[in-house]
Amino acid sequence: MGTKGNAFLRPAGTIVSAAILIAGLAACAELPRDPEGTTERIRRTHEIVLGDIAGAPPSPHAQRVLDRVAARLGAHVTRVDGHGEDLLNRLEKGKVDLVYGHFAKASPWAGKVHFGGPLGRRRSVGEEEHVPRFAFRNGENGWIALVESEAR
Amino acid sequence: MNRLPEQIRGDFARAKRLEWQTLFWMSTVVAVMFVTMGGSQAMRSALIEDVLSLVPAITFLIAARFEPKDPTRKYPFGFVRVNSLAFLVAAVALTAVGGFLMYESALTLLMAEHPTVAPVEVFGHSVWLGWLMIAALGWSVVVPMILGRIKLPVAERLRDKVLHTDALMQKADWQTGLAGIAGILGIYFGYWWADSAAALFIAFSILRDGLSSMGIAAAELLDGAPRELDSSDIAAEAQRLQSRLEELWPQGEVRLRESGRYIVGTIEGVHSPADLPKLDELMGDDPAWRLVRLSFSPPEALRREDVG
Repeated sequence: MGTKGNAFLRPAGTIVSAAILIAGLAACAELPRDPEGTTERIRRTHEIVLGDIAGAPPSPHAQRVLDRVAARLGAHVTRVDGHGEDLLNRLEKGKVDLVYGHFAKASPWAGKVHFGGPLGRRRSVGEEEHVPRFAFRNGENGWIALVESEAR
Repeated sequence: MNRLPEQIRGDFARAKRLEWQTLFWMSTVVAVMFVTMGGSQAMRSALIEDVLSLVPAITFLIAARFEPKDPTRKYPFGFVRVNSLAFLVAAVALTAVGGFLMYESALTLLMAEHPTVAPVEVFGHSVWLGWLMIAALGWSVVVPMILGRIKLPVAERLRDKVLHTDALMQKADWQTGLAGIAGILGIYFGYWWADSAAALFIAFSILRDGLSSMGIAAAELLDGAPRELDSSDIAAEAQRLQSRLEELWPQGEVRLRESGRYIVGTIEGVHSPADLPKLDELMGDDPAWRLVRLSFSPPEALRREDVG
């Protein structure tokens, strides 16, 4: 690397500028962007495709969240019924926008899709406990942030 | 008994204090990085690099306990080379982890895995975790930048390779922090690959540190000529000493090697002169304490010419 002492000073100006830029970005930040453009597509098509796992007890909280998200994006919700594995597979491929069901945080699907926080009053639940949640396609960070912010 | 030369005792004590401070401040970095890590590969690599950056500090502190000890019957030359051994172990560990992280990051990139950075609740507000990650990475830039800047001149005065590597690793640390920030901003702007690309860059920096440290440690284990702190070139002060010794004993063969922070010299094929110069005079304007031993090996000494 061959660096002498004064080399440590050189980037100080760059770092301070970067810190100001980042603080500015954070202060007036919009939601992060989705690499696969889920939020943008919903805004354009006015349709949220929800995978509804057969047999999962409905949750009034989940319904309220969906209504708020739909209102915010000017969209309606189209429900697709199916079994857990089938719907999570379709979610992973981007065929549905989110899946509602009762999932444990330690589900074997946890690496392939992203499970949101528990819906309802209880915030603290065990890793193995099956509770109502939305599941999202991995990496669609803006979409995840939008739905999760409405769920809080 | 303190076997350290008088001239470097102050700097040596300061270096020990700096390394304890490094352990404390870098632990705060590791803690905030761990708490905010989330699903980012770049954060994971940066966290591992920050943990690894504790290794040279620990190595230095362990070696500093041994180095001033008296020689024993089993170790008649003392423990001045303890830090060389510890340094080699640290370098091998660094190389292995760097290699593993490069493999992992490259795989994540090839598999096109999209990192998820979800919002978290902080004091009742929903905050995108990416902003907290950037704050943690910002802290991981500030701390090593300051520590590295303070340590570098001390390492140069002490001719201490471990401390010098530590200072350079801290430079790599804050560069890693910046790379990590770029990765998270990439995620924010929807570039999924930015995170893995930043992780790959960080892994490469760890691997490069490890390989260069291994080269320096190997040179000393092979009784190589004294090297510069920041490169594998022969140290300028060793070259000056070599010239002075060759002038004084032109009929002999001068061999210098490094032993820890010290230089040890042998003049082959020359009888020990009756009027020996002082070690301090032989170093000229360079720090006199570096030359700790000069021995003469007469032509009739028993040796195997084919081994050396």
